[in-house]
Amino acid sequence: MAERMSCATVADTLAEVATGAASGPDRARVLSHLAGCEKCRRELDELTRVADEVLLVAPEHEPPAGFESAVLARIAEQADRPEDDQAPASASAPTQVPHPLPAERRGLRRAFRPLALAAAAVVIALGSAGVVWQATSDERDIAASYRDTLEIANGQYFAAAPLLDPAGNQVGHVFLYQGEPAWVFAVLGQAAQPGVYDVVVATDDARHAAGTCDAENGDCGAGATVDADIRDIRYVQLVAEDGPTFTASLSSGWGS
Amino acid sequence: MSDDALLAGMAAGDADAMAAFVRRHQSRVYGLALSVVGDSAVAEEVAQEAFVRAWRHAGNYDPRRARATTWLLTITRNVAIDVVRVRRELAMEPVVVAEMMIASRDDSERVADADRITTALRELPREQAVAVLLSVHFGLTAQEISDRQEIPLGTAKTRIRTGLSRLRTMLEVSHG
Repeated sequence: MAERMSCATVADTLAEVATGAASGPDRARVLSHLAGCEKCRRELDELTRVADEVLLVAPEHEPPAGFESAVLARIAEQADRPEDDQAPASASAPTQVPHPLPAERRGLRRAFRPLALAAAAVVIALGSAGVVWQATSDERDIAASYRDTLEIANGQYFAAAPLLDPAGNQVGHVFLYQGEPAWVFAVLGQAAQPGVYDVVVATDDARHAAGTCDAENGDCGAGATVDADIRDIRYVQLVAEDGPTFTASLSSGWGS
Repeated sequence: MSDDALLAGMAAGDADAMAAFVRRHQSRVYGLALSVVGDSAVAEEVAQEAFVRAWRHAGNYDPRRARATTWLLTITRNVAIDVVRVRRELAMEPVVVAEMMIASRDDSERVADADRITTALRELPREQAVAVLLSVHFGLTAQEISDRQEIPLGTAKTRIRTGLSRLRTMLEVSHG
């Protein structure tokens, strides 16, 4: 289990999580505290509402002509893309934009849904800046959903486990939340060997790719939403090509 | 039609609802994107992506938790910040932009629902208001604010936290 921080220790970082500026590792540290601290959860909720309100002060500005049709075209284009997480266009209702979250697909299979937009972008744009920001932004969106997740799960199905290198030294943390959506988030600290790590989530039945953690320049965080019950997860690994494998074992110690 | 109704329509795949939602909010979303990235072409890209995400996540929108406007602006901010982080450069000096947003005498461009927060920001000590804006709008960490403004890290952290806490108190009072 992750070490517990005191409320005073997280207070400054809590404000930065509320504004959305906190780094992945900082966010993760706060999350691990929040799971067991109702007072800080409430504090964060209130500060986040204030921070979101601050966004209203930006002045309005009319976008260039054709903006609206460009947005609608982009949505239609995404719908045509045969990616796993994209809803298929409805043949019976051609005038509609695609259904964003098709309920009938949600319960179809107990599968992992890595941040597939990032994967799609890699295929299409091959390493352009656009790929990177879409990938990191999805990570940010995932991490930002902690409030809803914690509220729904009431912290009950939060779990954290240390990521260990082959010698047994801790190099990071893995966090898991049961919620809507449930998600897995891995954080590597500065101590880990620099590299690009694939996040692999394993149940008794299978192993699934769940994002990429880029620690070329130090620490990193990466996550994925999961359609499965997080209690079925046995371990999470960070695997680098020609490099070390770090493992977080989750076979015991569930609960808040 | 209310924003909540439009978002419900978007979640059900209604193209008209999506178009209406874009028309209603585009100047605000584009304005926020422009204030963060400072480049019109990049801002347009950010604003488009923000609406695509709003469409994708419309089914998860919960009106009990946030107003549609702030929900959408939060999405926009997240996209804009990530663009800025990858580019590792800002077209405009964020401290200058932050100062302008607080001090602007020209309130005609401001939307009515921003009055309360604008007033509250102006009542804060200037350095706290700037720190909050740098953190919220530009996603600058306390460390980055410390580096940019050449102040100790602890001071940057305190400005963000104290500024945010005071804003909360002021907004609570004006609510009551």
